[in-house]
Amino acid sequence: MGAGLVALIRRALVAVLTGMAVAAAIRLRVRRRAVPPQSGGWRELGDDELTGAEAFAERG
Amino acid sequence: MKVAVFGAGATGARVARKLAASDEVESVSVHDPDPQRLEWVVSSLGPAASVAQSPPIESDADAVVVATPSGTQLGIARQAIAEEATVVTTSDDPGETRALLDLDHRARSLRAAVVVGAGYMPGLSCLLARCAAAELDQVDEIHVAKAGTGGPACARQHHRSLSGMALDWRDGEWARRPGGSGRELCWFPDPVSGRDCYRAALPDALLLVPAFPGVNRVTARLAATRRDRFTAPLPMLRPPHPEGGIGAVRVEVRGRRGAERKVVVLGACARPASAAATVAAAAVLHAAAGGVEPGARGLAGIEHPRTLLASLAAQGLRPSRFEGFATFA
Repeated sequence: MGAGLVALIRRALVAVLTGMAVAAAIRLRVRRRAVPPQSGGWRELGDDELTGAEAFAERG
Repeated sequence: MKVAVFGAGATGARVARKLAASDEVESVSVHDPDPQRLEWVVSSLGPAASVAQSPPIESDADAVVVATPSGTQLGIARQAIAEEATVVTTSDDPGETRALLDLDHRARSLRAAVVVGAGYMPGLSCLLARCAAAELDQVDEIHVAKAGTGGPACARQHHRSLSGMALDWRDGEWARRPGGSGRELCWFPDPVSGRDCYRAALPDALLLVPAFPGVNRVTARLAATRRDRFTAPLPMLRPPHPEGGIGAVRVEVRGRRGAERKVVVLGACARPASAAATVAAAAVLHAAAGGVEPGARGLAGIEHPRTLLASLAAQGLRPSRFEGFATFA
């Protein structure tokens, strides 16, 4: 009875540890793949560019 | 000009404050069912503001801003049109947006201008789409995305929209897709940066398609987390925050300029409720100056968008341009 209980606990512990290792590996993989680098950057529009947009709008 | 503002929430209170500070506005009456909130908001506005508990709309109001929760704006807009006032609505509910656009004939017959969806998205997104399209000879596709929420009503609508049906315009037909599907990594202006965005029940396509005849594809997406998507069909598990953090909009317009295919990506970064209020207040002043023809339309369909965009930029809501290779697949 005692030996069976110890084996059960040991199996459960191994299962938990294996699960944690797999989860960590998946998380690491997801984190590496989740956000590719942005291939560019953002620049605020100047007043002259807003004016240019209007010129095109009125042309259309 | 006399203005009536309906709703004293995160957006409505700011709209009232901006209009009360304008030289062109003589008086602002604020309507809200919550007397305590109403007193608190009006007391912060100075002598130009007054309290009004609920409808009816004052018959001498020249303009009416409807900033009540989405789904409650149609009735007020109808009343305001009957009073021949200029109407600016902020709804981001697709059904209500469609109903507001259906007021077009009545608004034209009464010579009333109705601006539908004058907020952050829709609103600023429509204006950015119009300005991006101005750089092209032919517009083929418009893709808009939003990150962040404003006040509690906005957060509730965000939650509802992820479990609703998204409405995309594809090859001249409406296509309905489940909310929460169609993940795209969208890059917004810093500090919001890259966010996973999904289809949702958003009204942007309804407002953009009529303004861009011949466009092939129009889609709208919302930034959401896994938890947002998982809990979307359930009631909100905890009360929404009084106001969300910084948010962003992104508009990608694809088309042709001459023989060249071109992609223009514009965006803006701000607190959603604050930005929505800035857009709504500026839209009122723009309409009062004759910048909006009678009828019901979104901001993509107004006259002289530069004037409005320049007004927003002067108030700190300055758009940005993405320079580089576009990542919206």
